Amino acid sequence: MPIMEQGYQHWSGRLSGHSWRWLAITRHGVRIQLRNRFLRYVLFAAWTPALLLVGMLSIWGLLERKSNLVATFVEFMRFMNPNVIADPRYYRVEIWRLSYGYFMHVELFFSMILILLVGPGLISQDLRVNALPLYFSRPLRRVDYFLGKLGVISFFLGMVTILPTLIAYLFGLLFSLNLHVAVQTFGILVGTLLYGLIICLSAGTLMLALSALSRNSRYVALFWLGLWFVSSVISSVLAGVHHEEIRHAYFYNRPPAQIGAANPQGVATEPGDRMTSGLPQDGMANARQYWRNFQLQRLRDSQTDWRPMVSYTANLLRIGAHLLGTNQAWEKLAKLEPDTWRRERLLTRYAGPRYPWYWSAAVLAGLFGLSLCVLKWSIRSLDRLK
Amino acid sequence: MSGPDVPVLFELAGVTKTYGSVTALDNLSIRVPPGATGLLGPNGSGKTTMIRTLLGLIRPDKGGGTVFGMDILRRQLDIRRQIGFSPEDECLFPGVQGIEFVAYAGELVGMPSTDAMQRAHEVLDYAGLGEVRYRKVESYSSGMKQRLKLAAAIVHDPKLLILDEPTNGMDPAGREDMLRLACDLANNKGMSVLFSSHLLPDVEAVCGHIVVLAGGRLLVQGGIRELKQAHAGSFELRLKSEDEDFARRISGLGCDVQIRGDMLLVKIPPGQTAALLWRQAAEANYQIRHLRPQRSTLEEVFLKAVEQT
Repeated sequence: MPIMEQGYQHWSGRLSGHSWRWLAITRHGVRIQLRNRFLRYVLFAAWTPALLLVGMLSIWGLLERKSNLVATFVEFMRFMNPNVIADPRYYRVEIWRLSYGYFMHVELFFSMILILLVGPGLISQDLRVNALPLYFSRPLRRVDYFLGKLGVISFFLGMVTILPTLIAYLFGLLFSLNLHVAVQTFGILVGTLLYGLIICLSAGTLMLALSALSRNSRYVALFWLGLWFVSSVISSVLAGVHHEEIRHAYFYNRPPAQIGAANPQGVATEPGDRMTSGLPQDGMANARQYWRNFQLQRLRDSQTDWRPMVSYTANLLRIGAHLLGTNQAWEKLAKLEPDTWRRERLLTRYAGPRYPWYWSAAVLAGLFGLSLCVLKWSIRSLDRLK
Repeated sequence: MSGPDVPVLFELAGVTKTYGSVTALDNLSIRVPPGATGLLGPNGSGKTTMIRTLLGLIRPDKGGGTVFGMDILRRQLDIRRQIGFSPEDECLFPGVQGIEFVAYAGELVGMPSTDAMQRAHEVLDYAGLGEVRYRKVESYSSGMKQRLKLAAAIVHDPKLLILDEPTNGMDPAGREDMLRLACDLANNKGMSVLFSSHLLPDVEAVCGHIVVLAGGRLLVQGGIRELKQAHAGSFELRLKSEDEDFARRISGLGCDVQIRGDMLLVKIPPGQTAALLWRQAAEANYQIRHLRPQRSTLEEVFLKAVEQT
């Protein structure tokens, strides 16, 4: 018994309104999650790409101003086409798009890990210890509960996507010292923020739905890993099989003479075309041309290939590519290549999937709707018999 | 307790709620005054459904009601701001210390976080959990968890405290503490208490008013003192010495006598008074140690009410 026991005292403070009540759940959830040391390490690691993004945009700003400070860095940018380095302003938007694109690509990976660490217990633990009556007997609606839990995931994802995006953008502007940059790149900022929000909303809701399906958070974590890795593996296998089908159709189902007939002009051979090594010598030159056509065919085929959509993260990446305009950026950079073949090869290698973005949007919307249904079904109101 | 001038804590009018073929509340109409009210009823009588209806967690099929004058169908969130509820089941916020548990409960109601934390310390001291406030709630005993739920329910200083089976799973000392707290809140702190329990002595220790439900209907309602009315012509009698001879003696005079332990329950013939017993004791040289009019126990009131169904 405390020495200064005062007994029960009345409280005369004011209660806040209902609108932001979900924030209490988010605040509490974040506080609890931040006690996880491993989570703090991952969060810290996830900020490393942000430093690179800030560095890249800052360097590009200095490069545009032809500052001597970046002379050293230019040496490290030899992997870029010299024309891009020579006229950095003309390629500013493309470099920003691709920088943000790569950044978000890496952060998507970290986001998946963060969700794996934060999300599984959010609802499943409440189900296990029967916490829902404690929530719903207070002035909270179910939607407040969901928003609060989603807020916990969104906080951590926002910390590695939205916050670095804003900081990097400010640094990019500061180092370019040109207001025109803001006008040109504002769309990229909006696109990146929107992409970050979509990741939060889609992945967050999906994780909450999984978390609501089990009282054991380990099972939920396994579900998530399955959704992430297994869907990616299946997608890759399907894509690989499809690729082999096309390759067979091009190389192995036709005699060399026919390959030559299909391309009577012939072109200069390209050293290092690995796929032609198994073909007969007499058909080699034409086969190489055929290989190029094959690459073109792949590029065309990628515009209708649905196989990447099997992977959950690929769908997010496709939406990201659309919002950030990375494919357009690659197309512009590809124009610097001397011939069509090289242009197409660059696009095949570096540009992401080219099927319509709204296919992925439909998949994500479907998953979102399904998640909401699961949440509604699993987290029932107390309007029921015990 | 139904006059229009009597202050009303909550009121339900013709509330019916069914779940499939089960009728949880059957045209229930009730007016409860401020103060401590015991909610009694056998299993499945509709106590929990009634509590959830008051909290606005249930939408009745028919009927309506008010709590603090606020409509339960339209102002559920406002009602819940003014109610503290300690559920029957074991339920916790996972992975937190006792102090965080209570502070979080306050924040969920809308308290500013600093106020919630300060107040959490106060109510944990009050509930006798001050020494264990920094322990993880999962490590609390059943009794401590019940007191923790009570602390979480009163952290925002509600006008009405609903305790659903608050002494479940508690040892006698813990139960005593819980009843003392509930009593103090109801009698000294001006908080209305709705005390739902199967344990009639617990209800009697805390409440001055009871509501008995069965089959979703109201059986009995009123002040415990009034319900435990004196039985006309019935007395509890205890003698210093052996009482069987005395029992036979007064039975011969037309009294109905039952021996309950060391007590005689005597129903005297119509027209007679307690003077008959005094006279007989004096004549037979018996010393009366205890004589008072017989009153129903709460258990008898409850059983009688339930038997009516």
